[in-house]
Amino acid sequence: MTADKPPYLGFGLGLRPQHYREILEGSPAIDWFEIISENYMIDGGQPLYMLDRIRERYPIVMHGVSLSIASTAPLDLDYLFELKALADRVKPKWISDHLCWTGVHGVNLHDLLPVPYTEEALDHVVERVGQVQDFLGRRLTLENVSSYITYGQSEMTEWEFVSEVARRADCWLLFDVNNVYVSAFNHGFSTDDFLHGVPRDRVVQFHVAGHSHEETHIIDTHDHPVCDEVWDFYREAVAHFGPVSTMIERDDNIPPLAEVVAELDHARAIAREVLGDRAERGRLEAAE
Amino acid sequence: MKSLKEIQDTFQRGILAGDDAILREIKDSDKENRKVLFGVYRNAYVARLAEILGEDYEQVHAYVGDEAFARLVTAYIAANPSDRRSVRWFGRHLPDFVRERDEYAKHPEVAELALLEKALADAFDGPDAEAINIGALAEVAPEDWPQLVFTPHPTAKRFSFNTNAADIWRALKDEAAPPVPKVLPEPQAILVWRQGFTSHFRPFAPEEAMMWDEAAKGVRFSVLCEMVATFGGEDDAELRAATYLKGWLDTGMLAGFALEPSRPVRDRNSPR
Repeated sequence: MTADKPPYLGFGLGLRPQHYREILEGSPAIDWFEIISENYMIDGGQPLYMLDRIRERYPIVMHGVSLSIASTAPLDLDYLFELKALADRVKPKWISDHLCWTGVHGVNLHDLLPVPYTEEALDHVVERVGQVQDFLGRRLTLENVSSYITYGQSEMTEWEFVSEVARRADCWLLFDVNNVYVSAFNHGFSTDDFLHGVPRDRVVQFHVAGHSHEETHIIDTHDHPVCDEVWDFYREAVAHFGPVSTMIERDDNIPPLAEVVAELDHARAIAREVLGDRAERGRLEAAE
Repeated sequence: MKSLKEIQDTFQRGILAGDDAILREIKDSDKENRKVLFGVYRNAYVARLAEILGEDYEQVHAYVGDEAFARLVTAYIAANPSDRRSVRWFGRHLPDFVRERDEYAKHPEVAELALLEKALADAFDGPDAEAINIGALAEVAPEDWPQLVFTPHPTAKRFSFNTNAADIWRALKDEAAPPVPKVLPEPQAILVWRQGFTSHFRPFAPEEAMMWDEAAKGVRFSVLCEMVATFGGEDDAELRAATYLKGWLDTGMLAGFALEPSRPVRDRNSPR
């Protein structure tokens, strides 16, 4: 297993089909792209062709939604073989998925479902992360999810759970700034507690995204521009973690590329204000 | 205390079957009660899959209208828990599901419209293969032509429609009023395939459909010509066969050819 920490890539976007042509024709100022792994687990056609072309010009990171690492159903070997085959083709800088489960008994609920934060769940997840990392021959990167419910049986906080998974399974973390904000609002914890509760040296990526506010709770919809409160928390996260590869995640109501690039530029500007030259320097060093 | 496995079983039943037992395992927040909070997951499951079906079956939706389509997708989602890692495959049973519903017993065109949409989607991200064109056959000596056999493009798939669903699809795609649905006197042969990055379909006349089906089985060109002669008359049979073949080559329906019995000439997609 490679022990190297993933490089700092700078400021990236989620690759969406609506933007393929603009990216290839315009070479926009985007440092890297994240793909949804499952969308490219197909036989052929335009999506894989475009991915191959974009991969020639930009670093790629693979982000899955169906690993279901915390499920009590057996690991899906067919899925893992497909994931590995895609990784062999794409050669991603790292592979991520979510610290969640997506279904049991052969069903996929296509949602990122939380687990109770218990010792039992911790042991289970740690063991499975180990199995997947052995299979892939590399470390996984796991993302904290947005959640709407808490379990009565939870024995620890989410950040304690996330941190223990990272430490015991020896994996990396994707710190989703928006998800921390959403879950903090929904469950009444402090975003600062989460921020200071996870190990700094494990965090290799940020997600920044928009959400839908429903008065009593927030739903993580990724269909809006990033709001001011999430930008404020992003600023804090940058100050705390230093240069971390940052990505704007938009999955619905996909706007023209220029609009998402403008949001990315906003992230870049915040990082520059907080970090000065370090916001770009780390990336250049990684590229060399 | 419930095990993790029991929690997940209960949670999943809460989403799929509306079972409220999961509410005993979760807490109210300071601002909202647990039933509303768990409802976010319940609603998201149905809403996400309904959105996917709406994207996959855009013309079925346009044809049957909002209300009937909502009824259809609600029933489909309830009857078909997703069993694949990607939502890309969630709607794959919809054509069969429509065919078996009483509501559509008198509208067989709807299942065929769904089948056509699914076939176009399957061709879109189906296997890659470089298509051959007419120039590729230039290297075949005239005396070898009778021995030619062809390989269809791997995305090419033949359908036989009992209704005018293909015409309905075409009109809906052009945002025109669809023709009156009808059962055809004879089934209509349709080929769906991908040329470049774009999925296409084309109706085949009966003779061309016959020749395609035989060619796809690996029947050689001389025999194909004889079959065309038997099917539609001997006059110009070779010319008709050659015209069909040229049409296939011009639109990327073929991915390779060889000389039978034994000499492969060219198949760009065979393993090297």
